[in-house]
Amino acid sequence: MSYENKILQMKKMLGKKTTTTIKKEDKPAYQKPAAPSYTERWEKAGLTVVENEFGIFFKRQVHYPFSYQHGHYKLQSFFDALEKWQEAKFEHPYALGMNEKVLFFDTETTGLKGVGTQIFLLGFLEVSEEEESFILTQYILADPAHEAALLFASMLWQKTATIITYNGKSFDWPQLETRWTLHQKELPKLRTQRHIDLLHSSKRLWKNDMERMKLKSVEEEKLGFSRIGDIPGYLAPIIYLDAIKSGVPDALIKVLLHNEWDLLSLITLYIHSTKLLFEETSEESAKTFTNIGKWYADLKESPQSVKVLEKVTKQFDALEAGNAQYYLAIQHKKNKKFSEAIDAFVASLHFVDPRKKLHVLEQLAMIYEHQIKDYEQALYYTQEGIQLIKKNEQWRMEQKQKWEISWEKRLHRLGNKK
Amino acid sequence: MLSKKRTISELLNEWRYDEELKERILHWQTLEGREAKYASFPENLHPSLVKALQARGIEQLYTHQRQAFDYAMEGVSFTAVTPTASGKSYCYHLPVLQKIVEDKNARAIYLFPTKALAQDQKNDLNELIEQSGEEILSYTYDGDTAPGIRQKVRKAGHIVMTNPDMLHSGILPHHTKWVSLFENLQYIVIDELHTYKGVFGSHVAHVIRRLKRICEFYGSKPVFICTSATIKNPKELAEALTNESHALIADSGAPVGKKTFLFYNPPIVHKTFGVRRSAVLEVSDLAKRLYTAGIQTIIFAKSRVRVEMIVTYLKELTRNKLLDESVRGYRGGYLPSERRVIERGLRDGTIQTVVSTNALELGVDIGQLQACIMTGYPGNIASAWQQAGRAGRRQDEALIIYVAQSAALDQYVVNHPLFLLGSAPEEARIYPENMLILMDHLKCAAFELPFSAHDTYGEYEIQELLEYLAEEGVVFKTSEKWHWMSDRFPAHDISLRSASQENVVIIDMTVPGQTKVIGEMDRHSAMTLLHEEAIYLHQGTQFQVEKLDWEEKKAYVREVDVDYYTDANLAVEMKVLEEDRSRDYKGGMISFGDVGLVAQATLFKKIRFGTHDNIGSGPIYLPPDEMHTSSSWLSFSAPEKWSEAELTDAMTGAAYAMNAFIPLFIQCDSSDVAVVPQVKATHNEQPTFFVYDKYPGGIGLSEKVYELWDELLSRTQHHVASCACESGCPSCIGAQDSLQQAKKKVLQVLAILQAENE
Repeated sequence: MSYENKILQMKKMLGKKTTTTIKKEDKPAYQKPAAPSYTERWEKAGLTVVENEFGIFFKRQVHYPFSYQHGHYKLQSFFDALEKWQEAKFEHPYALGMNEKVLFFDTETTGLKGVGTQIFLLGFLEVSEEEESFILTQYILADPAHEAALLFASMLWQKTATIITYNGKSFDWPQLETRWTLHQKELPKLRTQRHIDLLHSSKRLWKNDMERMKLKSVEEEKLGFSRIGDIPGYLAPIIYLDAIKSGVPDALIKVLLHNEWDLLSLITLYIHSTKLLFEETSEESAKTFTNIGKWYADLKESPQSVKVLEKVTKQFDALEAGNAQYYLAIQHKKNKKFSEAIDAFVASLHFVDPRKKLHVLEQLAMIYEHQIKDYEQALYYTQEGIQLIKKNEQWRMEQKQKWEISWEKRLHRLGNKK
Repeated sequence: MLSKKRTISELLNEWRYDEELKERILHWQTLEGREAKYASFPENLHPSLVKALQARGIEQLYTHQRQAFDYAMEGVSFTAVTPTASGKSYCYHLPVLQKIVEDKNARAIYLFPTKALAQDQKNDLNELIEQSGEEILSYTYDGDTAPGIRQKVRKAGHIVMTNPDMLHSGILPHHTKWVSLFENLQYIVIDELHTYKGVFGSHVAHVIRRLKRICEFYGSKPVFICTSATIKNPKELAEALTNESHALIADSGAPVGKKTFLFYNPPIVHKTFGVRRSAVLEVSDLAKRLYTAGIQTIIFAKSRVRVEMIVTYLKELTRNKLLDESVRGYRGGYLPSERRVIERGLRDGTIQTVVSTNALELGVDIGQLQACIMTGYPGNIASAWQQAGRAGRRQDEALIIYVAQSAALDQYVVNHPLFLLGSAPEEARIYPENMLILMDHLKCAAFELPFSAHDTYGEYEIQELLEYLAEEGVVFKTSEKWHWMSDRFPAHDISLRSASQENVVIIDMTVPGQTKVIGEMDRHSAMTLLHEEAIYLHQGTQFQVEKLDWEEKKAYVREVDVDYYTDANLAVEMKVLEEDRSRDYKGGMISFGDVGLVAQATLFKKIRFGTHDNIGSGPIYLPPDEMHTSSSWLSFSAPEKWSEAELTDAMTGAAYAMNAFIPLFIQCDSSDVAVVPQVKATHNEQPTFFVYDKYPGGIGLSEKVYELWDELLSRTQHHVASCACESGCPSCIGAQDSLQQAKKKVLQVLAILQAENE
């Protein structure tokens, strides 16, 4: 029977209140829900049941010694990264302080957006100095009725920590806020925390270099970690539903492992990214280092930017270093080093995309006209620019016409000056 | 024709002596104007609002505006019936602004049926706020709202102007981001209440139940303020829509200008077939007269195709003027940017004639139009008055011309002007009990907040339905509550507007490398309007559909220049699924219940402009579209000695005539229901007429027909018998291919149906 037919069969089940008087019982204060029937079974599978004033939740904890190896890195390299930031001579949004309390954070949810999406797993990974280890703590939703218990257990209403996530700024944290809002009558307020999202940094580092920015791809291509027997994330919702329906936790345990790997990779991704920002690894491509140079430029850290970009121009051939030359030239021009700027622009000229190339020609024409006052050269680059616009077939007609008008203006002006 | 500017009365004086027009205008009717009724400003009206009103030259209120203010301040939900140009927006602006001035935490939602209307009201409201000098933030929130300011709207907007679709899929499912709105919501304004009828209204009734549920969660209890055009049952509709009792403000204090109505019937060009000259051509001629007289005119046509045809004709007026945009089309399928340009042109006068589908029926402020031409009866009295109200805003003299098409109801109206001028307008009905609609929104509601084991949803007991959703695996029951537990986002699967949930996107590929989307259309209409080889008209430009990718819901079109349009046939097959009720009726049997139907576009015809000759045809290859709906059917015994072919023809003609008259009784749009004859119905092998709701699950229309067969049949019979044609025409039983006994046979069938059983 089709869905439509089934629904229409149910017509008889629809009751309608005949009186419009609304029974208005006073809403009782929070009532602690009953523990689900499968509690014991989940305990046997290795989860600990914990009770608080809002109900129960399940917990799982794993200790990782500092020396634990995950992919290319030992977890303790995290502290080397912190030291680097300590010594750095520039500001950076991803810098962490030596004594900053850090919480690597990842959730698993029953959907992608909206109030109907539940968080069924809160995964934390924190440093414990006393125990000389990283401690993984997973809080698992016992069933949807016990949500307040889960949120309360996270202590995120009380503690202060810098949250480090992968795509947490647009996903995990807003979801957490949503869930918290639904329980605002019962729970203390969720604290606002400093938040570092490693998806954003990964995009900056590996733009044009990696096609997909999934954490799994980053692990495989950059962090030397490949998962065996991993549950794909998109199955998590159905696995959780099945676990609370059937009471069988087996598949859910695999989701916990998936979440655990995500968290471990967050540490090594932070380590690796830091190393890259301090140019301590040479295994990365010219594109990556060019991205880093550009990032420093955008952060207005010019000396650091120049340093990274110059290294690219020395280590890679002219083709690969084209973009680096281009960004370098822009820095030189900003710093009023015009002859260096000209050299770098010229070096980039044949190795950048047409849009950039046009910009290079314009810059060269401008520098020759306004700084060097060599109108002959300025005229040459202007003519090259006009040629480029005319020959290009990708650009939209209106755009081309607009550009041509302004370039012709320059040509005309230079003609008069000469 | 003289090309000089004239006033309406000058023009009408000329027309009185025009031999040709005299014959075709069957009735002249002038409705005199009415003086305004005023009331003083409320004593507690905040000085800043008094200042704002005075800045606009307003020193007192109309009586209905004052009553509205008083109700709103008392916390009474109400519905105000407000004709066009009666200053209805003050009915909600004043109390809402007053409340916000008194309490800066207070919030209000304004709900408009379309984005365009919200946009329009925003400008007006912001101006009023500016004149008051108060710091009140009002924003529109819809698909066009830039991501950058959404956060601000959610957190700080005092007044959020949106539409039901956005509320349904963009706000309610994310209510935790709108805490400050829902915690402090004082007023919910529903403008254009009368548009919330049928399928759309039934959907919106649920959206509002969901909204109220969320308000309750956050502890607010908003008052509803509704404004409506004249309909028969505004209070009842508002109460059904909001599930809340309403006070009614029925008396408008606004003045009304003098209106002249002309009832115009195109001349008969073929006596035997009763064929009249095409209304489209007549309308175009009349519009040309008005255009030359310099009278700003709006023309309404029912279908997109007719709009585009009239635009095509009228553009000839401006063919020799470069860049002249004084004639424009306006309809639903245009992109928002295109529509805004047209709205602006109308306001500033660069557009002199606009041809519109019903899209413009709504209160989009297009300023002053002097005349209105209706191409055919818009299907109900309320719509006719809405269209007529487009002419003569601001108390000026107005001209309204009703041009009858050959359809039965059109002819009825042109011959009975009192029907239009004298009867009460229709009821607007909704049917939130439609199970498909209800279940859709129950899912959304469960997504938005869990249901407890004792909860009702609106006025509905839904525990058993939740049980079903649990079986389906989308909700999960814990000891206390039903929780949404699925990775689906139910609001995205549900469109409030159309029966079929997927729209077909229209892609123009005239210029290689520059393909662009020029519009979209619902799936059901696309079957007959966007099939391959169909001529699709957009802003008077003809496009031919080259490829219709039904799987992907994309139609690829290319610009062409041809002298014909296309018209497609739809074949329908019925199956009775369940009979809920039945009773003997004279010689036959009447039933009501659920039916399954299969609709398939079969072939299309190419029809030449002007002459309306059929100049070719072709098959349409599209999969059949299935639907489960409610229906009322009438079965009878086949008359003896009739061949199956004879019976088929007679029943087809009778069904055609009945279909046209249903809106007279059950007051819906004639496209909301359909009549299908089956010579041998599959369930009882008898000849049967099916009247069904054209929406899955039904919208309560054919249920009414179950009670009305007697009147429907006698009215139909009377009309067919008194039609001037010899053997059947578009005004009675539909155009006939050959000179046979069609009309006689139809009348015989209608007589058999009504003959008492001996």
